[in-house]
Amino acid sequence: MYDKKDHFPTIYKFCRSQFHFVQAQRRFGFTIFPAFPKWLGIYRISIEKQETLLKLIVLSAAAILSFSTRLFAVLRFESVIHEFDPYFNFRSTKYLAQEGFYSFHNWFDSRAWYPLGRIIGGTIYPGLMVTAAALYHVLHAVNITIDVREVCVFLAPLFSSLTVLVTYYLTKELKDVGSGLVAAAMISIVPGYISRSVAGSYDNEGIAIFCMLLTYYMWVKAVKTGSLFWSTLCALAYFYMVSSWGGYVFLINLIPLHVLTLMVTGRFSHRIYVAYSTVYVLGTILSMQISFVGFQPVQSSEHMAAFGVFGLCQIHAFVDYLRSKLTQQQFDALFRFLATVVVVVSVVVGAALTALGKISPWTGRFYSLLDPSYAKNNIPIIASVSEHQPTSWSSFYFDLQILVLLCPVGLYFCFSKLNDHNIFIILYGVTSVYFAGVMVRLMLVLAPVMCVLSGIAVTGILSVYMRNLDVIDTKTRKKKVDTSYPVKNEIATFVILMMTFFLITYTFHSTWVTAEAYSSPSIVLSASQHDGSRIIFDDFREAYYWLRQNTPEDAKVMSWWDYGYQITAMANRTILVDNNTWNNTHISRVGQAMSSPEDKAYEIMRELDVSYVLVIFGGLTGYASDDINKFLWMVRIGGSTDKGSHIKEADYFTPQGEFRVDREGSPVLLNCLMYKMCYYRFGQVYTEQGKPSGYDRVRNAEIGNKDFELDVLEEAYTTEHWIVRIYKVKDLNNRGA
Amino acid sequence: METIYKIPFAVLEVPPIKIKKPSFIRIPTPMVVFGMVLFSYFLVTGGIVYDVIVEPPSIGSTTDEFGHSRPVAFMQYRVNGQYIMEGLASSFLFVLGGIGFVVLDKANLTGLSRLQRTMLLTLGFFCVIAAFFGSRIFMTIKLPGYLK
Repeated sequence: MYDKKDHFPTIYKFCRSQFHFVQAQRRFGFTIFPAFPKWLGIYRISIEKQETLLKLIVLSAAAILSFSTRLFAVLRFESVIHEFDPYFNFRSTKYLAQEGFYSFHNWFDSRAWYPLGRIIGGTIYPGLMVTAAALYHVLHAVNITIDVREVCVFLAPLFSSLTVLVTYYLTKELKDVGSGLVAAAMISIVPGYISRSVAGSYDNEGIAIFCMLLTYYMWVKAVKTGSLFWSTLCALAYFYMVSSWGGYVFLINLIPLHVLTLMVTGRFSHRIYVAYSTVYVLGTILSMQISFVGFQPVQSSEHMAAFGVFGLCQIHAFVDYLRSKLTQQQFDALFRFLATVVVVVSVVVGAALTALGKISPWTGRFYSLLDPSYAKNNIPIIASVSEHQPTSWSSFYFDLQILVLLCPVGLYFCFSKLNDHNIFIILYGVTSVYFAGVMVRLMLVLAPVMCVLSGIAVTGILSVYMRNLDVIDTKTRKKKVDTSYPVKNEIATFVILMMTFFLITYTFHSTWVTAEAYSSPSIVLSASQHDGSRIIFDDFREAYYWLRQNTPEDAKVMSWWDYGYQITAMANRTILVDNNTWNNTHISRVGQAMSSPEDKAYEIMRELDVSYVLVIFGGLTGYASDDINKFLWMVRIGGSTDKGSHIKEADYFTPQGEFRVDREGSPVLLNCLMYKMCYYRFGQVYTEQGKPSGYDRVRNAEIGNKDFELDVLEEAYTTEHWIVRIYKVKDLNNRGA
Repeated sequence: METIYKIPFAVLEVPPIKIKKPSFIRIPTPMVVFGMVLFSYFLVTGGIVYDVIVEPPSIGSTTDEFGHSRPVAFMQYRVNGQYIMEGLASSFLFVLGGIGFVVLDKANLTGLSRLQRTMLLTLGFFCVIAAFFGSRIFMTIKLPGYLK
């Protein structure tokens, strides 16, 4: 169990690696910098210093590049928070920066999920907000008084630069410096990571990837050295990860899986024992300090694997200890007895606890990763989110390009030289490829490991072929000609040029993807007209500011849950449902209101004290993500609870099974509240040349129900391009029915 | 301890058979595991989970001006959708590229004859270049505005 190799002093290893490098330099016969003229003789720097300078240049260039490539949206529009979820994070950060940590931790928000409210302090991962608020206070302490919004917008690019550095260190631990530099350069521009960390995308994933790679780096160091110091640092990094993202469950299952694989392949040693025991105990205690996590690490099935492997670690170490003390015969008898007892007891206890409900089964979100069809059949809300759809081949290529080709090569190099830490990266790679295949959103977790493996692959290929290059050595004249290898030098040059060409196309692809696909704020839209000029649609902010300035403070706004966070953050009004989607019944009630005819919907709206209703309509501009396109989800979710059992999806389709908004459309659809709110007064509008009035440019049809009046609503505001439409709910009649 | 062991055997009788683990069951070597990983990589990057959940057709079809139905290989204008065939063809190219690089690495071993080395190098270059340009062309077919 105690390996002599582990007692190698690190200084000796460092010197040995330097010596090898210098030898390689002499063999190659070239130095990194050409010979300086004689009068600059004092500036001839040593090989080690050249190496350090090169590393510094590459890493700083990669860090600066990763920050700048995420700034497209800021340059094209302005520094504004994007999408939906970041608005909630922004609002929480503002609250934290103003009120302080204790009121933030105990915050109960009565302006969301009316009339239920939401306990924010206990239902979020505070890492992102705490990081941004801390940065804000630090900057203010040195009199750089930038607004909270700027800190929030630029936090993700800043952390991407830090991710570049951590990737370098991680890959250096796994392979060598060369692969570290290549991996760092690749992760600075990989589109899969950029998609969730552009400037303005103020979401948990922006810092979670940094925390995850930091934890992995510490874990690899802990496994390699077996020291308590690195294991404790790993536990602290894990705590930071738990505080920042719900995806920490991936880590707490991957690390035990790694330990288990090492046990199975016979590589378990005291280093792994120390590392994992420390990380599990300290990590679990620290993770339970986050209120959202609470007691889950000892109760939920997602954490049971870690607990099981922890027990197995102790047993394995104890068995090894006994084996060294007892005779073979005694040991055999004792081992058989203990093994049967332990297995029987753990199975019985596990089954009893699961049956009693003390150990909760896998929750829906994570269970759908193991059984992808579960969400589609059982939980429509999870199935409706477009990020949760399975991945197609083009998403892989679009987000990763050359990395998809290089990943198997990296795995090959790891498999050919198996050791403890290589097994970790192999497991990480394989599991994340599978999870990315199940859910598009998890491409983000795949991107870093693809960069690491590709860095290993590129360095593997290049180092093999660099050695084949002819040495232009003026001192020695002999040249060994290898008859079995015809044009060694030329082939090597060709391979190196080919690899360079691939990497250059990778940068062009990544920059194109970033600029075209991942740099749109979603809250501000832009389109190019026939003459090439760009037209900006700022309808969302126009509508939210109208709400903020023209409605009473305690007005309740009903909309579909997508827009909840934006309404609370920008319009500062109370809403019924938002993106947290924690209460399916409440969302279902809103869905019933949207799908019912006006009089039924009015009852629901009176019940919930709604004063204003907000819908998104894209028929005039051709904006495709509007509420009519989402309408079927409202019907499905509305019909999924008891009170909405009269709502059947089939009623909203034509008898032939089509979803149509024109004259052929189903009368139930043509008279429901959502239809009327979207198409009120639209029948008199001419949208396109040669088409009749009321032509919907998204559904490409002339609407069926054109001239109608609203009974229970009155139109309050429609934005410039009709994208957001706000209606006021009329009060009850003065004289009753 | 022996007393606890004896209890079940006071009632049950051990049958006189000897079962051995068959000798051909062995823990797989690293390269065999690499082969299995590569096969699963082929399936996952081909979008097999998407195929199972969304159940797209194997190839799409469109009707031309004469009313004949013509097959469509790639689901165009969408990055997040695919037909089954195009997914498997593309992931085949990805794996081919990977294998090409592995072959290029193996072509540098000592002790190979001239013919073997030439064949390995040719195979390696062909696989890598075909895979790279093939996947690039597939993407251009799928997204007509790619790289514009």
